[in-house]
Amino acid sequence: MPSEQGGYAVEAHGLIKQFGLRRALDNLELTVPRGAFLSIFGPNGAGKTTLLRALALLSRPTRGSLSILGVNALEEPERLRPRIGLISHRSMLYGDLSAQENLEFFSSLYEGEPNRARIDELLRLVELDHRRNDAVRTYSRGMQQRLSIARSLVSDPDLILLDEPYSGLDPHAVDLTDELLGRVREQNPQRTFIMVSHDLDKGFSWMTHALIMARGQAVFAGEKAGIDREAFRELYLATVGLGVA
Amino acid sequence: MAARSSNAGKRPSKFAQYRALLTKDLRQELRTREMLTSMVVYALLVLTVYGAALSQVGDRVQVVAFAGGMLWALIVFTSLLGLNRSFAHETESGCLEGILLAPVDRAVIFLAKATSNLIFLTVVELICVPLFFVFFLSGAELASTTPMIVLPLVMGTVGVAGVGTLLSTMTIDTRGRDVLLAILLIPVIFPLLYACVSACSVAFMGVEGTFGTFWTSLAVAVAYDVIMIAAAWGLYEFAVEG
Repeated sequence: MPSEQGGYAVEAHGLIKQFGLRRALDNLELTVPRGAFLSIFGPNGAGKTTLLRALALLSRPTRGSLSILGVNALEEPERLRPRIGLISHRSMLYGDLSAQENLEFFSSLYEGEPNRARIDELLRLVELDHRRNDAVRTYSRGMQQRLSIARSLVSDPDLILLDEPYSGLDPHAVDLTDELLGRVREQNPQRTFIMVSHDLDKGFSWMTHALIMARGQAVFAGEKAGIDREAFRELYLATVGLGVA
Repeated sequence: MAARSSNAGKRPSKFAQYRALLTKDLRQELRTREMLTSMVVYALLVLTVYGAALSQVGDRVQVVAFAGGMLWALIVFTSLLGLNRSFAHETESGCLEGILLAPVDRAVIFLAKATSNLIFLTVVELICVPLFFVFFLSGAELASTTPMIVLPLVMGTVGVAGVGTLLSTMTIDTRGRDVLLAILLIPVIFPLLYACVSACSVAFMGVEGTFGTFWTSLAVAVAYDVIMIAAAWGLYEFAVEG
């Protein structure tokens, strides 16, 4: 077992998630080093989102072991929650509240009282401090996604999970989100990112490690350094062709 | 990052989280008034229907005999509407997942949501119960015990808010959740409903020698609230994470 400071950000062995008769995760083996950017690819129904939900501690695996940041995630999920952030295609923001109120609310859940210095810092980081008092429903989709990134950072997590973060964004918003993610990544090189994406180019450009899934299993897992882009594309397309059971 | 909290790693108090969740719900409702407006308008419509239904009843004494049941039918149907709306904001943009990501005891989420539902139901009752008296009981000779209806009203509202919060959480991700909540809620709260109607009817009628029934019914309502809210508290983690 790695220590909480070093080693792997994620270590999963024999991970199984069963929904009735269907196995969404089937004996999945996964190790992600700290500071890595893992991109997860695969066809619909491959188990990518199920895996991400298990890593976000939103869903408990049926069987297997899961260690996150050196902590047993199945035994001590409450200890881990402040150290994990999730950015999804859904903003997880209240449209009738302002950006400031949304961040204050989520900050209060993590710290009891809103951490105003951190909220100011995050609003500046996502370049929304000039709109901090406007209702979130008046924001464009891209602005909401930037605020969602700020929301995911209120507890300064060590592991950031991204579930199709570019979904529904226009090209300009995609560029802004990319730039923002780059800045977030630069701020803390020890922070680990795990992204689920259907966009092969986007996922490939960010990743240091790759995982291709099909039918709840890892079809391919490896470091980007050892991957030829075209061979990877071929493998990905072949996997997508496998479809789901 | 520079502003990393000095509290990082330290768990916030449950009361602080409860206060944050409750304040968010109240702030949102004060801003949109979605739930309160729809509940009050619906209650007024039910009162209008009652007016039509009772238009041919000349004897006000008969209305007093039905008043407990009518009042509780109004409260239950209005509550159903409100409870269905209470999780609308949480599911629209996946906000509930945002809450579940945080280190919040699921029972605290239940308590905050049940409290906000209780507050909204109480506000609606404060508007609708006086209107019920004005429309249907103004000409009737009311018993001196009538103010005692406050006790079953409070106990019943607490129970409906508590059980309703659990059931509306269970139905948020289902198809036809509006109907499903009604199908689940009414049978589950039936003992409470029966006890509250019974207690209210006794208070409205004020007949000598029936007050044993009032207190027995009230005791049933209190016992129901204690047992069901404790069960809902314990089961909430499974409901909200399921």
